[in-house]
Amino acid sequence: MEILSAKNLSFTYPGEDTPALSNINFSVSEGEFVAVCGATGSGKSTLLSLLKREVAPMGKMTGEIFYRSTPLSSMNHKDSAFKIGYVTQRPEQQIVTDKVWHELSFALENMGLPSDEIRRRVAEVACFFGIEDLFDRRTDELSGGQKQLLNLAAVVVTRPDILILDEPTAQLDPIAASDFITMLKKLHRELSMTIIIAEHRLEEIIPASDSLLVMEGGRIIVFGKTRTIAASLRTNPRMLLGMPAAVRIYSELAVDGEDKDVACPLTVREGRDYILNNFRQDIKVRKVPEYTHKKDEALSFRDVYLRYSRDSDDVLRALSLTVYEGELFCIVGGNGSGKTTALLAASGLRKFYSGSIKVFGRDIRSYKNGSLYSGCLSMLPQDVDTLFLCSTVADELRDAGTDVDSLPFEFPKATLDRHPYDISGGEKQLLGLAKLLATHPWLLLLDEPTKGLDAWYKTKIGDVLRSLTASGITVVVVTHDIEFAAAYADRCALFFRGSVVSSDVPHKFFAENSFYTTSAARMVRGIYDGAITADDVIALCRANGRRNESKRSLLTGVGVT
Amino acid sequence: MLKGNTTFERNSPVSVFIYYACVVVPVIFTMNPVIIALSLIGSIISSFAGREHTSVRFHIYMLILFVVMTAANPLFYHNGETVLFVMNNNPITLEAAIYGAISATAVISVLYRSRSFTLYMTSDRLLYLFSILSSKAALILTMALRYVPLYTRHTRCVADAQRAAGLYKERNIIDDIKGGMRVFSATATWALEYGIVTAASMEARGYGVGRRTRYSPFTFGHRDIVLTAISLMLFAVIITAGATGSFSFTFYPRIEASPASTLAFAAYTSYGVLSFLPAILTIIEDVRWKYLVQKI
Repeated sequence: MEILSAKNLSFTYPGEDTPALSNINFSVSEGEFVAVCGATGSGKSTLLSLLKREVAPMGKMTGEIFYRSTPLSSMNHKDSAFKIGYVTQRPEQQIVTDKVWHELSFALENMGLPSDEIRRRVAEVACFFGIEDLFDRRTDELSGGQKQLLNLAAVVVTRPDILILDEPTAQLDPIAASDFITMLKKLHRELSMTIIIAEHRLEEIIPASDSLLVMEGGRIIVFGKTRTIAASLRTNPRMLLGMPAAVRIYSELAVDGEDKDVACPLTVREGRDYILNNFRQDIKVRKVPEYTHKKDEALSFRDVYLRYSRDSDDVLRALSLTVYEGELFCIVGGNGSGKTTALLAASGLRKFYSGSIKVFGRDIRSYKNGSLYSGCLSMLPQDVDTLFLCSTVADELRDAGTDVDSLPFEFPKATLDRHPYDISGGEKQLLGLAKLLATHPWLLLLDEPTKGLDAWYKTKIGDVLRSLTASGITVVVVTHDIEFAAAYADRCALFFRGSVVSSDVPHKFFAENSFYTTSAARMVRGIYDGAITADDVIALCRANGRRNESKRSLLTGVGVT
Repeated sequence: MLKGNTTFERNSPVSVFIYYACVVVPVIFTMNPVIIALSLIGSIISSFAGREHTSVRFHIYMLILFVVMTAANPLFYHNGETVLFVMNNNPITLEAAIYGAISATAVISVLYRSRSFTLYMTSDRLLYLFSILSSKAALILTMALRYVPLYTRHTRCVADAQRAAGLYKERNIIDDIKGGMRVFSATATWALEYGIVTAASMEARGYGVGRRTRYSPFTFGHRDIVLTAISLMLFAVIITAGATGSFSFTFYPRIEASPASTLAFAAYTSYGVLSFLPAILTIIEDVRWKYLVQKI
């Protein structure tokens, strides 16, 4: 049964000439799990926010959205608020109250339910989400992942029919994101909630979804069953970039249309079967040029210990690490393993109590009066918004003493007149980089530069960082994004409990890890060695060639007539 | 290390509030030394019984305060007929000295009580009390309480970010002030932006669609009925005695107590029980628990 639909929907933001959405038609049936994908600026967020009347942006809308054949605009306030749940990508900002229990009961209080009913529903939801332990906690003490689960729980508590989620995991680390998606799957499977979710991190969403809605330039380009749509994306390279590794590998290798009878793999397991069944394994190893680092050290830690207060535990414990000049060095590791703290210590913002940190061979404590920050080192914080002070992007650049033309990379000029908070995540990162480069640093420390970015912007950031290292700048990136580290790093280090447990060049580092590694590496574990990105796997499969039909039938024992 | 007050942990904020009101009000309105002495001893013993982990420093501060207040009164007030000695042509009287000591005791006992009260009355309990008066105001207060730590943390993040990006100089005080201004303006912009998202989130969850109800995890149970009944009953006895002047006490010109009466005695007993109530409750529970442990 149809639960939500849009008919000839178009939308234009005030003061803009081109519509953000044009001629949108789709219909979602009850209990469907819809993944909405599309590059930044494709109109995903606009579409999702229009589906929830309370958060719909101002602007000119034509056409109509229907909830169970009632136009959204004529729904009563209560139904519109409580039947359609909405979660955005900001875990922190959505929280209203200071205690977890109060946050859970907030919507129910708004519904005007009696106290006993609220008590029951809150208890139910807390159990379902497994957040009973957090019940009495303050909301500002929760981790990002816990906050986002709380936001979901606080919406689900009103028993909505539809959940609309706008990039809910964009600001979360992979483990927290995975927990969040697992919870969505549970809501979908056990409570048959209709879910419409926009995401950039599609590796887990795609296999979970029933259907896929692909948007580009404010239009829906395709909408249908996930597997069919995923298989049809091979003509759209920019969209394909964001797909799970299995889909990318399939799409690249099936160009000639030979695989008509083979279903498109979506998960790592399906991808592995696809490779095993269709490709030979004569060439095992992909040749990678040997990487040798320069001799000079750009940043080094020697037995560094750091803690935040006298009574707390050490955050960094005997951390020793060396980054050489001109390297793109990626630090990966779980939450709370000390990655960000290491960057803060290296940038002189937190004091360590034992050991030494050297920046370009000189003790960090000998840099006085901010000399560390002029022409030497610069750090891009995790929340890049904290860098911005002015009302337009152009002013930001002027404030830092630089302009668009003197940047070593191409800056999106269309954003110059906009407020820095209103540009996309990728554009914010570029603006942040531009501001940092104005101080002419030789060592750049970046904290999660790919957080919340779409696949295309990740490659853009990756390319920019590459060009910076080529010009002699050393770049240290702390990231949760192992796919990014695998594709761009010169060397990687794994943090665990405040020190480095392993560091190596990516194709050895990720090939040796079996859990903490890319999905491509997990897919070809034991089949091919040293293949860590989808591109590596594609190259190896191409080099090996397909099994011919007779060989396949021999292997599987099924005769082909 | 401060920990919460454990005596009333399982009581509703309403009954605890009533208890503290009943125990503090008599001390404020009387200068009777018996009541005040009972108040001080009761409050200190109760704070130990409540396992409040009061630091030694707090006790020392209280002692200093006691000495200062006791000494200050006779230095400024020279009423009373028993002159002890004369200082700078001003008589120092026994009555004023005793008055000072008793009022100091009263103040200190109230401070001990307030401390126990604030340890018990965490923000959510206070908000619960507040929400009985006004649900909207309580919501605003809870949001405000949430923003304070958020802003503090964000300000630090902005300062770090600006510094490590080399965006402000720190050579002299002018640079520092300019830097501070930058951080402030960035935080302000962020707060506005933040507020918009929060407002949207509130509306998305149906804020303002109808009459709000009020939910709280606190219930008014058996324990609370007992506590409230005891508090109010004892308080009634004290008030009756106080209203009839049974324990009035005058200092100037000479110390005079009203004659002993059954009512005054009843009032002292009542106040004694009231004052030691947290300690009594804790001891009863401890004994009960020990007994239970023996059985197990």
